[in-house]
Amino acid sequence: MSETKAHKVKDIFVEGPIPPNLIATSIAKHATRTDIGAHEIFLGQVRADVRDGRLTADNRLPTTVAAIEYTTYRDMALERMTSIREEAFTRWPSMTCLHVHHSLGTIKAGELCFMVFASAPHRQGAREAVAWVVDRIKTELPIFGKEIYIDDTHQWKHNDLRDSGSSPA
Amino acid sequence: MRVLLFGVIAEKAGSESIEVNATSMASLRETLRSRIDGFDALSYAIAVNRRIVKDDMTFAGSEEIAVLPPFAGG
Repeated sequence: MSETKAHKVKDIFVEGPIPPNLIATSIAKHATRTDIGAHEIFLGQVRADVRDGRLTADNRLPTTVAAIEYTTYRDMALERMTSIREEAFTRWPSMTCLHVHHSLGTIKAGELCFMVFASAPHRQGAREAVAWVVDRIKTELPIFGKEIYIDDTHQWKHNDLRDSGSSPA
Repeated sequence: MRVLLFGVIAEKAGSESIEVNATSMASLRETLRSRIDGFDALSYAIAVNRRIVKDDMTFAGSEEIAVLPPFAGG
C-alpha cells in the first residue's frame, strides 16, 4: 500500500463525478492489509435542493438544483489538505490510511462528488477521523460550487456547518 | 501584481485574475472595490501565498494573492 501514512502532497481532485465502482476497488485494494479491522467511508452526493428561482410579477417560482459545478484554488487546497491529513494522523495515530477524492467540473444531482475513506485496526478511530476530516475539508479547502438549476439560473453555494443536520461535535 | 479570482468574484469581474498595483492589504481591498461591481456586497477572504490573512500587511510584490469567496466543498 504505497499511500499508507505518506504525507506528501497528493492530488485529491477528480474531473467529473466519482464513479461508484471507485469505492469498490478502493476497498478491494486494502484486502492485503490484514492489520485493518474497520473501514469508514463518507460519500457526498449532489442533492436536488429546491430554491427560490425566477422572479415573476407575483412571486418567485421555485426551482431545483440540477447540478453543481465545482472549481478550486488547487495549490492552496492541496496544501491545506496535506496539513489536514498530517493532523489527522497525529490525532488518530493508529489510522492505517486515509483516502480523499473531490470532484471538479459539473456534477449532476444524484452523482457522487466527495469521498473520505479511512481505515484503522478498530472502528472508533476510523469513524472519528472521517467525521473530523469531512468537516475540516468543508470549512478549510478553497473549493467553490455553482448550483445550476433546472431553469438554467444559478447561485453560488456556500458551506455552513449548521447545515450538517446536527450540532458539530 | 496579478491577483487570482475565484467563484462568484471571478464571475463578477468577468475574469479569473486582474492586474492591480497594491502595496498593502488596505490598498488591495480599495482597488478591488473600485474595479469589481458589487464587490462590497460579497463575502470574501484574501489569501497571501496560499494562506488566509485577515490583518493589514504590506506587499513586496512577489506574493501570490487570491480573493476567495465562501467555500463550498463537499
